[in-house]
Amino acid sequence: MLKYLKEEGLMGARLPLLLCPGCGHGQVLNYTLNAVDRLIKEDKIAKEKFLFISGVGCSSRLTSHYLNFDSGWTMHGRAVAVATGALLANPEFRVVVFTGDGDVASIGGNHFIHACRRNMDLTIVCMNNGLYGMTGGQQAPTSPRDMITTTTPYGNTEEAFDLCQMAEVSGASYVARWTTAHPHQVIKAIMKGIRKKGTAFIEILSQCPVHRKEEPAEMLAAYKRITIPVAKAKEGDKEKILVGEFCDHDKPDWNASYQRVIDRYKSKDV
Amino acid sequence: MSHGKRFEIRIAGFGGQGMVTIGRILGEAFSIYEGKNSANSQSYGPESRGGACKSEVVVADGEIYYPNVRRPDVLIALSQRALDTYLPDLRDSGILLIDPASVKDIPQPEKYRVHEIAAMAIAHEIGGVKYQNCVALGALYSLLAEVLKESSLRKAIADNVPPETVDINLKAFERGMSSVRRYGAEDWLRQ
Amino acid sequence: MTKDPHELYWLKPGRYYLQGSEACVEGALMAGCRVFAGYPITPASEALEHAARRFPQVGGRFIQMEDEIGSASVLIGASWGGTKAMTVTSSPGFSLMQEAISIGIMSETPMVIVDIQRPGPGQGYITASQEDVMQARWGHHGEGAIIALAPASVQEMFDLTIEAFNLSERWRTPVLVMAEEPVAHLRELLYVGERKKINIFNRKKPQDLGIKPDAYLPWGHEVVAPMANWGDGYNVNFVGLVHKEDGNVTDWSPQVNYDCTRRLLSKIEENAREIAQIETKFIKGSRNVVISYGAVSRTAIEAVMEAREQNGLDLSYVRLKTLWPFPEESLREVINDVDNIFIPEMNFGMMKHPIVEALRDRCKNFVSIPSIGILHSPEHILSKIVEETK
Repeated sequence: MLKYLKEEGLMGARLPLLLCPGCGHGQVLNYTLNAVDRLIKEDKIAKEKFLFISGVGCSSRLTSHYLNFDSGWTMHGRAVAVATGALLANPEFRVVVFTGDGDVASIGGNHFIHACRRNMDLTIVCMNNGLYGMTGGQQAPTSPRDMITTTTPYGNTEEAFDLCQMAEVSGASYVARWTTAHPHQVIKAIMKGIRKKGTAFIEILSQCPVHRKEEPAEMLAAYKRITIPVAKAKEGDKEKILVGEFCDHDKPDWNASYQRVIDRYKSKDV
Repeated sequence: MSHGKRFEIRIAGFGGQGMVTIGRILGEAFSIYEGKNSANSQSYGPESRGGACKSEVVVADGEIYYPNVRRPDVLIALSQRALDTYLPDLRDSGILLIDPASVKDIPQPEKYRVHEIAAMAIAHEIGGVKYQNCVALGALYSLLAEVLKESSLRKAIADNVPPETVDINLKAFERGMSSVRRYGAEDWLRQ
Repeated sequence: MTKDPHELYWLKPGRYYLQGSEACVEGALMAGCRVFAGYPITPASEALEHAARRFPQVGGRFIQMEDEIGSASVLIGASWGGTKAMTVTSSPGFSLMQEAISIGIMSETPMVIVDIQRPGPGQGYITASQEDVMQARWGHHGEGAIIALAPASVQEMFDLTIEAFNLSERWRTPVLVMAEEPVAHLRELLYVGERKKINIFNRKKPQDLGIKPDAYLPWGHEVVAPMANWGDGYNVNFVGLVHKEDGNVTDWSPQVNYDCTRRLLSKIEENAREIAQIETKFIKGSRNVVISYGAVSRTAIEAVMEAREQNGLDLSYVRLKTLWPFPEESLREVINDVDNIFIPEMNFGMMKHPIVEALRDRCKNFVSIPSIGILHSPEHILSKIVEETK
């Protein structure tokens, strides 16, 4: 995977990663590059077609600093909208959006649900650690009730979003949730997402050991304990977090639909 | 002014009477089909139907700087309120065209050349009150026949109404042309 | 304007009777713009509607985004994706776009934003205004400079939109077109010439200069760096952080920060003489000057001509076609020693500030003539001038 990373370059030394020791995002970068590598080889997709866009936050640091691809480290919450713009300029981009739970569902919530509604052909890789890591551990819209964070010092009095349900209800074509403790499933999901024409939303629970003040290995083990695949879930598993594929549709993405308009109404002397 | 004389038309009433369209039609007739220069603008009260609405056309051979009407040569008033508001600006001996169904009271009509057109009634006969604007336009044309060619207006109408309504709008236009009357002079004709 | 949807690519040479908003969109198409993102807002919605009809006709793409922030973000993505892109909005939407404009300045992204101003603050109203002209320069957070043009006619809504794209591509910067409702909603003649005679500028790419990917410095090579786009094979990274000329964002220091933002500021400000345009009439030897811009200049020239011809007043006329960078040098070239400078604006006196700053050694009396929510009438401007010069 190293050939997809910049070790040195104009922006300075890229390695080692600036992520905290034990951070799950490094794993997500690994899994994503594995997925992209296999797509380049299996589907013969040119490397130049890939475009990685991120917003702001720990998850968003995965672009530009490290990637030997075209990328954009944009505005907090706006990665999906910037990615939409790129697709309007060139429908052939294979766009991967690196984002976090705060970036995509708090400030970016509106762009997130509308991109799903439009079925924009992009793959949103959402690293969900249930908090705002970069800024010091504040609550996020995915923080569970009662959780202590720096802005909920007495315990969170709010409920958390279910990001996959939001994506599914908004119209995304492919929605899946895994964790950093499920490497093969994540790689397969990202491959499927990029192959899928339309919005793919892949939520990956990703550990933040620093702000949760837990050991990363224990957090990974916990991910395996507290999750249950959709296929296996039974009535009594309400305490567990569902992982797996939630929906998988084939329907026209935004550019395919709009292309029909262009084909019909394009001026004769173009 | 050194940039030439201006001919100014103001059309006022309430929203939904189609004034903006006839302002556009007139502007296009003068500019595209007659080779003159014109500036067409409009302003509204806040409501889209029923609020005050005004459409203006400034025509000149030379360049038009200030794009709005300063002292209209022609005022079409399709509501009493419009008349009350805009009559004071009309030039002495300017043309005033009103719909008697909605404008009942004209102060000092002798100062102006006042004409009337039963635009709403005629439009209703033809097929709907929404055609009243072309009826009024036809009436206006017959008062401005030296300034504007009929063919220019007919072409501009065709450009600015939905294709399937071109015929009925032209019919409204023709009815307006033949139905305009001098204000106050027609009572003995009607008996 | 023909209604046949299959007929028009670029406007063919000829005379058209169009609304300012429509002319603006046509200018964009003529300049090669192929992506339009917008959000409905009075008085800008007509531009969106016209764009929605026209962009597919030229093989371009129109999208109504969920809000103005999304629209402005689309411009960033589309521009880096390799296409000219624009949006049209009004004042409240313009406020929402400032973050994107800010990152557009830092990342040196060509993009065009048209603000059809309306009175504020808040929801304000939907009529005429020039209340955003300071926001145009200072509304984005942070340092850096911007280019803002002020069209005064339907013809200029066409011509200056083309110019806006040319400037944005030439200087790699967001460019603002500060329009107003009286011109956006006005219908007037538009003269369109042959496209091959219209000057259209496209961004310089490293490929054009023979610079290979491994030798490419994203913010280097020239005063305005050649711009590799996504998909060009340059592994180019869009970033909004303070950076060194070679793209390094890791080695921050106060000097790096200073150099970066200084460079962005100088890129525009030091080229103001070339970028900023003014227009003058009757200026030579005149002791009283009316300086205006945008729609108000239509009233101002009418007032000036009437005052000269009918009242024999010594009045001259200067129009700012460019608001930012402020045309200080050009103004100082034509105004040497005058008694009064009158500045009619549809605000309480915003461009008055840079005008005073530029000319305070050449004039003792600067008079604002505000009109709020409505275009000045010639009588309004003249009566104020007469009162002042009695």
